[in-house]
Amino acid sequence: MRISKMRADVQALLFLLPFLLVYVLFTIWPMIKGVEMTFYKWTLIKKMKYLGWDNYTRMFQDQEFWAAVWHSTLFVILTTPTMIVLAIVLALIANRQSRLQKFYRSVFFLPSVLSVAVVSFLGLFIFQPYTGFLNSLLHLIHLLPADQEVFWLTELGLSWIALTLITLWWTVGFNFILYLSAMQDIPDDIFEAAKLDGASSSQMFWSITLPYLKPITKTITMLQIIGSFKVFMQIYIITGGGPLDKTRPVIQYIFQAGFRKNDLGYAATMSYMLFVILLVLSALQYWLNNRKEANA
Amino acid sequence: MQKRYGMMLASALSLTMMLSACSGGNGGNGGNDGNKGDEGSASPSSSASASASASASGAVSDDPTGGKKVDLSFWTLFSGGDGDNMQAMIDQFNKTHPNIQVKNTKLEWGEYYTKLITAVGNGNGPDVGISHTSRLPDLIDQGVVSGLDEVASATGVDWNSFNPNLLNATVVDGVHYAVPIDTHPFIMYYNKKLLKDAGLLGEDGKPVLEQSADGFVKFLTALKDKLPKNVTPFALSNSNDDPYRLWWALYSQLGGNDVIADDLKTAALDADKGAKAAQYIQDLYTNGYIKKNDPDFYKNFQSGTAAIMMTGVWATGTWESTKGLEFGAMPIPKIYDQEATWGDSHTIILPVTKKEDETKRKAAIVFANYLADNGAIWAKAGHIPSKPSVIESAEFKALPNRSDYASVAGTVKFSKPSTKNWQLRDNVSFKFLNEVWAGKMTPADAMAKMQPAYQKLLDE
Repeated sequence: MRISKMRADVQALLFLLPFLLVYVLFTIWPMIKGVEMTFYKWTLIKKMKYLGWDNYTRMFQDQEFWAAVWHSTLFVILTTPTMIVLAIVLALIANRQSRLQKFYRSVFFLPSVLSVAVVSFLGLFIFQPYTGFLNSLLHLIHLLPADQEVFWLTELGLSWIALTLITLWWTVGFNFILYLSAMQDIPDDIFEAAKLDGASSSQMFWSITLPYLKPITKTITMLQIIGSFKVFMQIYIITGGGPLDKTRPVIQYIFQAGFRKNDLGYAATMSYMLFVILLVLSALQYWLNNRKEANA
Repeated sequence: MQKRYGMMLASALSLTMMLSACSGGNGGNGGNDGNKGDEGSASPSSSASASASASASGAVSDDPTGGKKVDLSFWTLFSGGDGDNMQAMIDQFNKTHPNIQVKNTKLEWGEYYTKLITAVGNGNGPDVGISHTSRLPDLIDQGVVSGLDEVASATGVDWNSFNPNLLNATVVDGVHYAVPIDTHPFIMYYNKKLLKDAGLLGEDGKPVLEQSADGFVKFLTALKDKLPKNVTPFALSNSNDDPYRLWWALYSQLGGNDVIADDLKTAALDADKGAKAAQYIQDLYTNGYIKKNDPDFYKNFQSGTAAIMMTGVWATGTWESTKGLEFGAMPIPKIYDQEATWGDSHTIILPVTKKEDETKRKAAIVFANYLADNGAIWAKAGHIPSKPSVIESAEFKALPNRSDYASVAGTVKFSKPSTKNWQLRDNVSFKFLNEVWAGKMTPADAMAKMQPAYQKLLDE
């Protein structure tokens, strides 16, 4: 019995080996190598000089880095709750019995298949002044006087709104699907029982649907936080991090240090800092969830 | 048991996701405001008709390889019309030099330098490459480009045949590192029809414009008053490259000498001159001569709704291929004491190779010199050739418009040979000047913030 189990394990290992090899070579090994980089002045070409902890002290004193971390955090704060609410609302709409059900599902999901560059340029076309879709629409319905323009992309507050909206539109599809499948997993007999008891539809939503969505919401929140911290491309294309670098996310700062300033050692240092931040956040969330479950 | 596997899987998954957060992306050049990068905008002009103007400096040997066949790999960053013109010149060279065959690899402009630096570092670089003059010091510092003096004298390249202003910008510590093939300065374009409507076009087809600070504003005021309301007097972007180039030009016209000192280690922005130049430009924005936050100022001029515009000479080819656009080109006005403008050059470099092959290097420098000699083909996109003899040639003179601004080559104010030119520009100058253009920062304030920011960058 034991021997055959071992044989099975060896067999499994053999099947896993090709993947493991690639995984170690291209993920694990670079991770270790990356730690080494943080202790050097390291350019695109070669490692230049051993610096000890210099990159780390520099990072802790680098106000621009912490400003960039804050911008990414702000982006997380802006997008995570709005994303969850929007995804639930869309899922509720698509979950209703209706002839348009299939239409809703595809329409809500469709933006997710676009690439980030396409989405960003669409965003530029929508939000740009004079000829952009949004300002033209506002002119058309006379919300905006004809000789005035709203500069969505160059005013700090407005550019955060524009970035949030475009990101929501682009990525809500995936979370929407997760919620939709979670809703469809809720047993029908609970709703039937509720109906027999004379519950209104809003009562059913608050007391049945929402509690059943709790586990998936935890997962989505976690994925969303990690995902939003990684924001880079749409901000890079739409505002370039401006005005005054006040929308520049941390990934852009790392990218600039590494590939514009040719300082890969420092870029690696900041990358690991971001890694630690995300690790702590995830651990915290994990711990919070587990504690609640233990109490329940 | 199953649950534990699931948890392990989940944590492995999130670990991977976090890690991939840390791997840097590979972005473009960050043109985020409809600005035309200086390579991307040339016209798709037909370039087949390439009449060979034989070597202007006849001293260069046409067959430096001693009868051996040599293949040269050449990396370029040109697209559009520039790309076509370069390919035409290469084809012509290959035809006329049977022993030297050049193979062109076109790379994306946004990732060209990163790829070049990495490839040379690994010993897989090309035999011939392109560099902007402003980027050259950085490449020298990283050990990417090799000195050319020996190979140039071995093949008889005559450095005196180049425009000294362009050539000197490629000489670092007394060593020639590059063969300039052009300069692409910041100039002014005007719409002849609109200027005529405003009564500001002279008999000679040139703008009636007094070359002074007040004169230019008067000119713009007349355009604004006399032309319909939907016409932009002066098309210019509201951020990054082009207004920065105008600032650099005016700053230099005032006598400003780069933003760093000759030691290349100290920030040396002349705050008074910088603020004066910035104030002049800020007023152009606030007084409505320049359209606020114009999403695409190229398109604005191209569609005939802007009276004048300023950008690099590479736009000439684009305007020529635009139907119904009657335009003229000229140096930017002399607003202050001395003529000066922003500019850069494309140069040919010989990257460092694993083992130096003298024959290849000779062939490469002959090729580089050939490109400079045939600048009339290259000028089709709008660039100014690097050799005065080419500018005097009948072939160049036959091209319309170019001769109107070819003189600018002598007044281009290049940046000093700092390894951080692009960083100073992208990370400091753009950042604060953009705020000035948006009217959110006073010029004096901006200068006060730029100086320490330059210094911080230089110290890193």
